[in-house]
Amino acid sequence: MTAAVLELLPLTDRMGVRAAGEVCLTTRASWERALGALVGPGDDVHLELSGVTYVDVAGASAVAAAATRLEGGRRLVLHGTPPQLRLALDAFWPGLTAIEVTLS
Amino acid sequence: MRQAQAAERFVHPALFYRDPKEYLAGTVPFLLDGLAKGEPVAAAVPAGNLELLRAELGDRAADVHCLDMQQAGRNPGRIIPRVLRAFADSHPDADRVRIIGEPIWPGRGDVEYPACVQHEALINLAFAGRDVTILCPYDAGRLDDAVLADAHATHPVVVDGGREQISAVYAPARVVAAYNRPLAHPAGAAAHSFDGDGLTDARHAAVEEARGLGLAEARLVDFSLAAGELITNSVVHAGGSGVVRVWTEDGRVVCEVRDAGHHTDPLAGRRPPSRDQPNGRGLLMVHYLADLVRVHTGPDGTTTRFYMDR
Repeated sequence: MTAAVLELLPLTDRMGVRAAGEVCLTTRASWERALGALVGPGDDVHLELSGVTYVDVAGASAVAAAATRLEGGRRLVLHGTPPQLRLALDAFWPGLTAIEVTLS
Repeated sequence: MRQAQAAERFVHPALFYRDPKEYLAGTVPFLLDGLAKGEPVAAAVPAGNLELLRAELGDRAADVHCLDMQQAGRNPGRIIPRVLRAFADSHPDADRVRIIGEPIWPGRGDVEYPACVQHEALINLAFAGRDVTILCPYDAGRLDDAVLADAHATHPVVVDGGREQISAVYAPARVVAAYNRPLAHPAGAAAHSFDGDGLTDARHAAVEEARGLGLAEARLVDFSLAAGELITNSVVHAGGSGVVRVWTEDGRVVCEVRDAGHHTDPLAGRRPPSRDQPNGRGLLMVHYLADLVRVHTGPDGTTTRFYMDR
């Protein structure tokens, strides 16, 4: 049996997190903790997700909540967005301006 | 009982029609009356009937929110959140919202029909107390008598031959229960048991089965998300474990999860969430992604299956 793994590392060149693995029930707590730590003053926040192969709907909900917590016009910028995350954000948080999904 | 009916603000008539003339006579004045009163007006009907309406409405068609129900409502389980409430909720200040919703047409198959008729019954619960009118046309010339009999049970009022009658057999809860039928899976379908530790393995196994059965790569993303949400729901809400099975049926890939849970909320998975609520979107997402969802639930457990076209 292989439990899902999620690696989370702070970005070195800007505010944010690089993630690799799967965001699901097994890894939800660490995902929410990492997103919860992204509040605070500063610039836009970046999530590097090209190494993420799966995000469930609760994981997407945590992304939307993190974006909503950002203040002062700051945005949560998603890079390498996994398709499942895109589906859930489109379905439940269309037009959430605090999230920017980049094509890269 | 009479008083309770008189006090109900939600209006939900069925309209039996037998030809285009009857269709237009029953629907167009309804739409124009709404427009004249300044009410938000929508029509979610099969493509052919949408064309009839557009041609008859002419310029006024631009004022009606038009949707092809064969696409938007292909899975009847998403019609309440995605079509009806999506439109009604987007006009919170309207005195009344008017919708023509035609979720049942002659092409609906036997596997889809129980989900269709349960949807019709649940509309009454979903909109109770709201200032909304939903008119549901039925192609009475081509649909089975049993379907028309069910329409009498799911609509408090039926319009037939231009005459409006209160339905004496209106009993939506009975319809929901009557179509809550056991679902048998094929003997040969591979089964993968899971609990909280094995939920990732179970999802991966289900996705591999679907890939092997020829589900297109783009659809596998939808499949993985839908299967993952059902498996997660079993672990979180239904005793912590379950069994997932995948097979093909009439050209579609079917994914089924059985667990020990019992749905006591008939509208589970059909309520659009508020933007800020943290949970409760999993089953809703399954409804959005799938071409059909069937559920059998009871004290002995729940079977939820979704169908995806290949």
